[in-house]
Amino acid sequence: MGYPHKSHPKETVVLSQYFGDAEARTYKGWVKRGGYEALSQALKMDPVAVTDVVKESGLRGRGGAGFPTGLKWSFMPKEKKKPHYLCVNADESEPGTFKDREIMRWTPHALLEGSAIAAHAIRADVAYIYIRGEFTEPWTIMERALAEANEAGVFGGIKVYLHRGAGAYICGEETALMNSIEGKRGNPRIKPPFPAAAGLFGMPTTINNVETLSAVPHIIKRGAAWYKGLCLSNPKSTGTKLFSVCGNVQRPGNYEVTMGFPLKDLIYDMCGGPPAGRALKACIPGGSSVPILTREETESCLLDYEGVVAKGSMLGSGGVIVFDETTDMVYQIMRLAKFYAHESCAQCTQCREGTAWTTKIMERILAGQGKSKDLDLLLDLSENMTGKTICVLSDSCAAPIVSGIKKFRAEFEAYLAGQRQPVGGA
Amino acid sequence: MTPPHGVSQGEDYQPVFVGKVLDELQGILRRYPTKQAALLPALWLAQREHGWISDRIMAEVAEVLGLTPAYVKGVVTFYTMYHQHPVGKNFVQVCTTSPCNVCGAEAVLQALLEQTGARDAGATSPDGKWTIIEVECLGACGFATPILVNDDFIESVTPEKVTEIVRRYR
Amino acid sequence: MADGMVNLTVDGTPVTVPAGTLVIEAAKQAGVLVPHYCYHPGLPVAGVCRMCLVEIEKAPKLQIACATTVTEGMVVKTQTPPAKDARQGVLEFLLINHPLDCPICDQAGECELQDFVFQEGQRGTRYGEYAKRFNPVEDFGPDVLYVPNRCILCTRCVRFMEDVAQEPVLNVSERGDRAFIGIHPEARLDHPWAGNVVDLCPVGSLLSKDFLHKARAWELDKTASICTGCSQGCNITFDTRDEVVVRVRPRPNLDVNRYFICDHGRNHYKWLNRGDRIEAPLVRRDGELKAVDWDEALERVVRILRGASGKAVALVSPGASSEALAAAKRVLSGFDWRGAFQVVMGEEAPLAGVPNLALRAERAPNARGAENLGYTRDYTQALEVAKTAAVVLVLDDSDCAVETNGALIYLGTVLGEHAACRRADVVLPIANVAEEEGTFTNRDGRDQRYSQAKPAPGMAQSAAWILNQLAATLGMAEATR
Repeated sequence: MGYPHKSHPKETVVLSQYFGDAEARTYKGWVKRGGYEALSQALKMDPVAVTDVVKESGLRGRGGAGFPTGLKWSFMPKEKKKPHYLCVNADESEPGTFKDREIMRWTPHALLEGSAIAAHAIRADVAYIYIRGEFTEPWTIMERALAEANEAGVFGGIKVYLHRGAGAYICGEETALMNSIEGKRGNPRIKPPFPAAAGLFGMPTTINNVETLSAVPHIIKRGAAWYKGLCLSNPKSTGTKLFSVCGNVQRPGNYEVTMGFPLKDLIYDMCGGPPAGRALKACIPGGSSVPILTREETESCLLDYEGVVAKGSMLGSGGVIVFDETTDMVYQIMRLAKFYAHESCAQCTQCREGTAWTTKIMERILAGQGKSKDLDLLLDLSENMTGKTICVLSDSCAAPIVSGIKKFRAEFEAYLAGQRQPVGGA
Repeated sequence: MTPPHGVSQGEDYQPVFVGKVLDELQGILRRYPTKQAALLPALWLAQREHGWISDRIMAEVAEVLGLTPAYVKGVVTFYTMYHQHPVGKNFVQVCTTSPCNVCGAEAVLQALLEQTGARDAGATSPDGKWTIIEVECLGACGFATPILVNDDFIESVTPEKVTEIVRRYR
Repeated sequence: MADGMVNLTVDGTPVTVPAGTLVIEAAKQAGVLVPHYCYHPGLPVAGVCRMCLVEIEKAPKLQIACATTVTEGMVVKTQTPPAKDARQGVLEFLLINHPLDCPICDQAGECELQDFVFQEGQRGTRYGEYAKRFNPVEDFGPDVLYVPNRCILCTRCVRFMEDVAQEPVLNVSERGDRAFIGIHPEARLDHPWAGNVVDLCPVGSLLSKDFLHKARAWELDKTASICTGCSQGCNITFDTRDEVVVRVRPRPNLDVNRYFICDHGRNHYKWLNRGDRIEAPLVRRDGELKAVDWDEALERVVRILRGASGKAVALVSPGASSEALAAAKRVLSGFDWRGAFQVVMGEEAPLAGVPNLALRAERAPNARGAENLGYTRDYTQALEVAKTAAVVLVLDDSDCAVETNGALIYLGTVLGEHAACRRADVVLPIANVAEEEGTFTNRDGRDQRYSQAKPAPGMAQSAAWILNQLAATLGMAEATR
């Protein structure tokens, strides 16, 4: 595997410092590099104090929702009456996103250390690391690292187990993840109750993403003020983020930058932009579930939670999918709709039927049989699929369709006018 | 003994959860407060041992974990990585979701289908060595096109590299 | 919010409900039926169908009424455009794969999909050019058919089997729009309470084989009754068409059977339609039973009773009404009396998820009522005494093998070919439980009333009427209760 790349000068290297350093994968190697010092420090602090530091740092969930992490931890019951659980969400399945796998492959102990600190802060008794079934290499590496960590007594009395997923994107949704651990179909749960009140096995639970937890040791060691200071734009978005850039770029990969970093620089400076001679057409900045940005929006977008919202999309998981002028937007939107139709858990009516129906309409348009009313139909169905279901998979299917029709209408109309043939993946 | 719901195992059924495999399952059971939570790991064990998960195996898993066969079947059919019928010696998963799609994933899929003789996605090649399926995002979008050959995760596959891969695994 | 009550308004109507009430239930009290499918008061909440979306002031998004608990001062609006559009959207999605089976579907006329589409749905479909998903009909077991094409995946059936019957034999299989209700291939839906899934299914996806294509819902008359299958006393409804009982369904009673009946009770109705009924009173003349009118028959009985003295034995069915049993005792009050019954016993089959609900071992509805009136279970002893009794009265016990030197008066619905009661002096035809009104006392001492669903055949009358007539003539007026 030809990865990782050497850090680009414009990167802010925190989480990715030891990517590519094979020795960093071992316990000894990690300790040699200053690992587990943050944990020792945290264990001397009161759990509430640890939570306060993380709150102060402004760290927000890196899985996609961007919920303030310290705040999430503080939802756990103040009085410990029942077993507490920590779930580590390593089910990375959002198209365009491939950062958690790198953290696990290169710095497994970073994740374990962050998990140990989190477990201490929320007074967890047991932690499950849910790794998607397809991540066979990260699994093996995490298994080895966990064995080393247990031998070294890293977790004290806390039990930590790996749990293997079996092929379901929806299990990355935090309540579906809990159901999957419990041996059920990966159906999201209605809320309330919230996980901190009644989560895994009905007990108070916190679920955090891999990247989120990997940032925690740094925050403890170097302080909340340091992390808060890593901010180029909006003070509500602090720290660094691993952006997974893929699609039509010359140098795809994970790049770590400070929040507020210009998306334009990420794509052009670090990734070399689209292949030579081809212009950027569109970009999905946060994994496929967020609205598509036009070239203009992309090139003026700052990469933090508020900055991307200002452009009409969301930071999400930070999976930056780049499309250039050779991309058939209609075809790719169809392919994304097909993804959601395949992954729908089937609970909610709008999602179960809507993801499949919108896919069919898109396929018909691509086959040259679309009608002019199909675009309005797609928009109307998308409206019915948004904000009305147990989880947001339904909304996620609607996002590329709505933004696609709005911003690339001409491509759709070319199909409707019979002027175009589909171009699948180049 | 009659398993639940009159599910008869048949004379020639070889139980999966015996000996070392059963020991392994006992170890797994200790990780969870309920038997039900050991279901996904138990199914992985069964698939590892048997290659695929038949209705009878579902009934055995159900019995071992105190669940019903129908319940186990509902879970098996939810997750795409559990095989409900025999597959070729090499089970290949090819990602064709959009980020890989714009990097030529469909051509990789086609190359695999042709060069292995499997012809159609989901079908097993006549020599029984290959089953190729199209899957959703494998979480390696920056290294298009990723494929899984059984448990081997191979990145940056192109139609040109397919020949070498097919040769290597045949 | 004192004393645990909450005040809110639903569509402008103020209601006050206990804290913890769901909005969908509070709405019922305001006279508002929020459309829904997956919600059922007898099942755990799922919140999956999304049909019950309503607008709640201050909430940023529409909420599902079945999973939202009331709060003080909550303002619920079900008829605003966003709420109606959202529900119309759900209906449209439900209909795209749902076949236009109404003309051949048993559920038509009592189908919640028809009802809500008619009330709130779109006029036409926008799915016209696409193929509908197709799966073949499946036989789930003894009485249940599953028609996957019509299924709206509300999962009521899965939740009933999992949480109420506590035997998860139904699942949801597959994912997305490929999903359907599945059963392990070697399993059968033979749980003693499984038939309830047919009632619970809002559409014609789960069907009763027994009722298949038998009658249209709008042809049925519905009458409240009590199941005679055992001593639980489940409340039921008889569905009759042209005066034939064609179906039995549970009637909700939170204290007895909640929303359910067992399969034994559900199937236990065909005997009510038997054609081989005694249709006229019969008296013995010249050694043979001859048909006469009621006056003559009753007159004969009165003469027998006035002319006899000593022991009288009443052999009764524990399925007779309390009114009939009481009147039968009064009629014999001039005698040295004993009364007895025998009960067919079977295996008890509880509905695990509901306290105090089971198919009871005692397969009769009114044993307790009989006992309360002084009848005993010493049936064998009663038979012995009957041999030398002056009068034997048999009430609705058609298998009774009594032998006596005294007078034998038989009240029953049928007269078996080899029945001992063919030797009776008088045979009086009576109505069965569907043909009269009366009272049963269940095993918990609960008196429950049942009503008449169809006319009794020929000249048959309710046993209570007959015996009360006799008592009046004999001067034994009805005792005060």
